[in-house]
Amino acid sequence: MLRSFISFFLFVCLFKGFGQEELERRTTGDSVEYKQPYGLRAGVDLSRPIRSFFDDGYTGLEFVADYRLTQNLYLAGEIGNEKRQDSENLENGENINVIQIYDHTTSGSYLKLGVDFNTYENWYGMYNSIFIGGRYAVSSFSQTLNSYNIYDSNRYWNGNGFIEGLGDSEEFSGLNATWIELLFGTKVELFANFYLGASVRLGFLVTQKESDRFPNLWIPGFNKVTDGSKFGTSYNYSFTYLLPLYKKSKKPKDKSSQLSQ
Amino acid sequence: MTQFISMILRLDLRCMRRIRGFLFIFLAVFSFNACEKDDICVDGDTALLIIRFYDIADTTEFKAVPNLRILGLGQSAPINPDTDRTSIDSIGIPLRIGAPNTTFLLIKDSADDDDMEIGNIDTLTFDYNTVEDFTSRACGFVASYENLTQGLTTDSENWIQDITILNSQIKKQDSAHVKIFH
Repeated sequence: MLRSFISFFLFVCLFKGFGQEELERRTTGDSVEYKQPYGLRAGVDLSRPIRSFFDDGYTGLEFVADYRLTQNLYLAGEIGNEKRQDSENLENGENINVIQIYDHTTSGSYLKLGVDFNTYENWYGMYNSIFIGGRYAVSSFSQTLNSYNIYDSNRYWNGNGFIEGLGDSEEFSGLNATWIELLFGTKVELFANFYLGASVRLGFLVTQKESDRFPNLWIPGFNKVTDGSKFGTSYNYSFTYLLPLYKKSKKPKDKSSQLSQ
Repeated sequence: MTQFISMILRLDLRCMRRIRGFLFIFLAVFSFNACEKDDICVDGDTALLIIRFYDIADTTEFKAVPNLRILGLGQSAPINPDTDRTSIDSIGIPLRIGAPNTTFLLIKDSADDDDMEIGNIDTLTFDYNTVEDFTSRACGFVASYENLTQGLTTDSENWIQDITILNSQIKKQDSAHVKIFH
């Protein structure tokens, strides 16, 4: 008897709770104040230092930042520096007699600026985002042709190898590229003001300056440049800290307009 | 992390519809990006020198050389193992990359007698400049040749009567570079 009484009591309490909340909302009318933090969010990309550690031919660092403009719009950007050595090999299933056809190093810096648009509607008190974004990016870099061999499928004069290139290794400096980037990503608040994010990016090369002797095969920030295509793909994993500068309230959506949408 | 999972689970339909288009584009491009011709060299190769043999009597007619064998100077193996000592009227021969010239022994009626060559041997030298060009990501650098000239060593009985260079630039191998009349 007592047990059923307690559970009935709890049940009533539950309703009472709901009733109170409803009342509170009603008393403040349409303008329920819901303050959200606005500020500068800055941090680093985690993937580049990790890759620098595991990949001998690669070193890179990227700083990321965004600044909240409106409820869903952020001004965003990345700045970074990358260096990557890579070689192209003629491989086969058994990895016997693998021939390197050329080896090159690209090194340079890049800057990306643009906007992120949050498409995600948070629950009360949460500040996560799933966003789409756009960037305009510039990169300034140099490319060094370290060594190369001449591709020749005829084996009459050269036995099993390829003839070493006749020219010297050469550094091509003063190269640059600009591209636009479309990205898709997320930023999630892990604990107060610290965010973990990830994004995948699709770049489209707009301009590039390359040498006549050796084209740009890799561009810092853009990633691999493929033959006969202006598209490139890249990604990052950001860890950022939000420096809250001010709070601004979000106007609650009008119920009737939400229904009519 | 739990927050992240709950967020994904809570992706309401309206939000999904907005994102779906972008997701599709991304997936499409990423999947196409995986199949590149950048991995296999199909764009180029160092060209062979193409020789065609013509009749000296009627210079527009092809004339096959009976039992032709071609050796590079200093090499013991023939250049054309598949068509060695057969009658052919065209052949592609490899030049030495980076060297100023390459010399070939062209043997008509090639045959052995006690391991001695009894055919008619003519010695032909080609002079040229090597040019290297970056072709593509998968092929890297490929050689081509410019300013091709020929020098036939005269001996007591040359079977080669005349040589014409049609194209002194050897970059493609879809047509003959050199005509040999016999």
